[in-house]
Amino acid sequence: MHTLRVYRRCLGAHLRATLEYQADFWILVVAAVLTQGAGLLLIATIFARVPRIHGWGVWEVVLIFGMMVLAQGASELLAEGTWGLAGLINRGELDRMLLRPYPCLLQVCSSRVGMNAFGNLTVGGGLLGTALAHLDVAWTPGRVALAAVLLPSALLIKVSLTVVANSTSFWLRGAINTFAAGLDQLGELTKYPLSIYSVGLQAVLATALPFAFIGFFPVSAFLDHGRLAWVGLLTPLVAAWCVLLAVAVFRRGLRRYDSAGN
Amino acid sequence: MAPTAALVEASGLVKEFRRPRKAPGLAGALRHLVTRRFDVHRAVDGIDLRVDEGESVAYVGPNGAGKSTTVKLLTGILVPTAGEVRVAGVVPHRDRVANARNVGVVFGQRTQLWWDLPVQDTFELLRDMYRIPAADYRRSMDRLCEVLEIGSLLPVLARKLSLGQRMRADLAAALLHEPRIVYLDEPTIGLDVSVKDRVRAFLRQLVADGTTVLLTTHDVGDIEEVCRRIVVVDEGRIRHDGPVDVLRDTLAGHSTVRFQLAAPAPLELIRQHLPDAEVSAGAGERDLVVRFDRTLRPAGAVAAAVMGLVEVRDLRIDDEGVADLIRRLHDRDSPAALTGAG
Repeated sequence: MHTLRVYRRCLGAHLRATLEYQADFWILVVAAVLTQGAGLLLIATIFARVPRIHGWGVWEVVLIFGMMVLAQGASELLAEGTWGLAGLINRGELDRMLLRPYPCLLQVCSSRVGMNAFGNLTVGGGLLGTALAHLDVAWTPGRVALAAVLLPSALLIKVSLTVVANSTSFWLRGAINTFAAGLDQLGELTKYPLSIYSVGLQAVLATALPFAFIGFFPVSAFLDHGRLAWVGLLTPLVAAWCVLLAVAVFRRGLRRYDSAGN
Repeated sequence: MAPTAALVEASGLVKEFRRPRKAPGLAGALRHLVTRRFDVHRAVDGIDLRVDEGESVAYVGPNGAGKSTTVKLLTGILVPTAGEVRVAGVVPHRDRVANARNVGVVFGQRTQLWWDLPVQDTFELLRDMYRIPAADYRRSMDRLCEVLEIGSLLPVLARKLSLGQRMRADLAAALLHEPRIVYLDEPTIGLDVSVKDRVRAFLRQLVADGTTVLLTTHDVGDIEEVCRRIVVVDEGRIRHDGPVDVLRDTLAGHSTVRFQLAAPAPLELIRQHLPDAEVSAGAGERDLVVRFDRTLRPAGAVAAAVMGLVEVRDLRIDDEGVADLIRRLHDRDSPAALTGAG
């Protein structure tokens, strides 16, 4: 509990500092809206020509898309600092974090707040709400409970995968981690129904790099949609696995940390 | 003398770094991808060090001697390749959280403040991380604000501080949780004279109050004004360990006379007449430097002997201090680097 409270305070302090630059804030909110708008435009264009893709209707795809945007926002809010990990390692700045009585990983995560977070959380939340309003979901208590488990699990997967991707900086030793950025781009593929991709790519996105568990599978389970809907019920397990993986990879990497000379 | 407890105990401490051996250029980088070869560099090579509660130790040596690496090993930032460390009974790299509560660290070259946050926020986050009770925190803050005069810096963003302000804020950040031992890695580097004086006065007070201090420095002022014990390290090994005042006395036994001659110095001839002195050429070919033990012969006798052999235009007599030791240490080519230290 103490750990979480300190984490929240670190984020809070950075949030306050970030919000002092109002122009930056609004520019980045607009940027998030425009970026995600482009993706939505693509969806709208496709669905203007075909009514369904592999059995997925427009609002179902928007629901997946919204989950992905929301998860991106969550990762920018909770783990943006990991994008600076390569720089921290290169400049030997993990030193100071190792000297404090607080988990190093959480210090790295909370060392920044991504300003796109607000844009993406707003856009993602909006898309989720709109899609659900159009989808005529029967909100039985079971379904509410399912959503309450799936949503945080999915967000946790995204955050964990961001940590894993950036923890490779301990091995790569570049000043910026282009590998992590590449992985993140790969994850973008799962903004659309997984079945449109080749079997091999589907397998990768479902297992080795389980980005499909952020949007596609949990949405499948929630809507009980398609043959693979049951797979989405594994989302909490995948989340637990991803968190453990993130912690393990980061710890392993930290052992390689050699500081930097003066 | 009251029995004292060892606060820092290091034995046989070794740290090796692996450096990739790459041929220059892109071709070399590509070849490295296939055949990975590494050079092993031993930054710390078997160091035994014991620091007792309440001691103030200067840890000095030339650049690359292994000073910072030792500090990083003692603080648990680095994991030793071999050997053992214990600080207040804790193995620092194995139990970082317990160790963190016992130690405070200041790096002169790098800040520990949250760069993007106001100084006040750093202090409050540290309070939360260290779980400092509210009353203790207020007491600590009041004291630190008063002696380091950082009250006016609290609302300022860390990255907007001047170097001197940053150093004071960093000192406060390292001491907020009232650690038993404070490591300072070049705490006065780059500071102007008046700020240096304030930092040293503060460190002196810290030592007087019973905090154990270990500092690395290139600055003789830091050593003489703050520390009672000096440990000299070079090439990863301890070369000298003893009280600062004893070292000063030993060195005070030596003097150096610098001559300016009318003609190029006949070094061999002078060496024959002054067999127990160190005779060397100075910067120019007409310069001559004679270093000798003052207990064996007075400076006047040396000067007279030289003047009897060659025509002297000018001369200057220097007594040696800790500064000379450091200077000679830093000049690694000098074989006599440590003769003065005994």
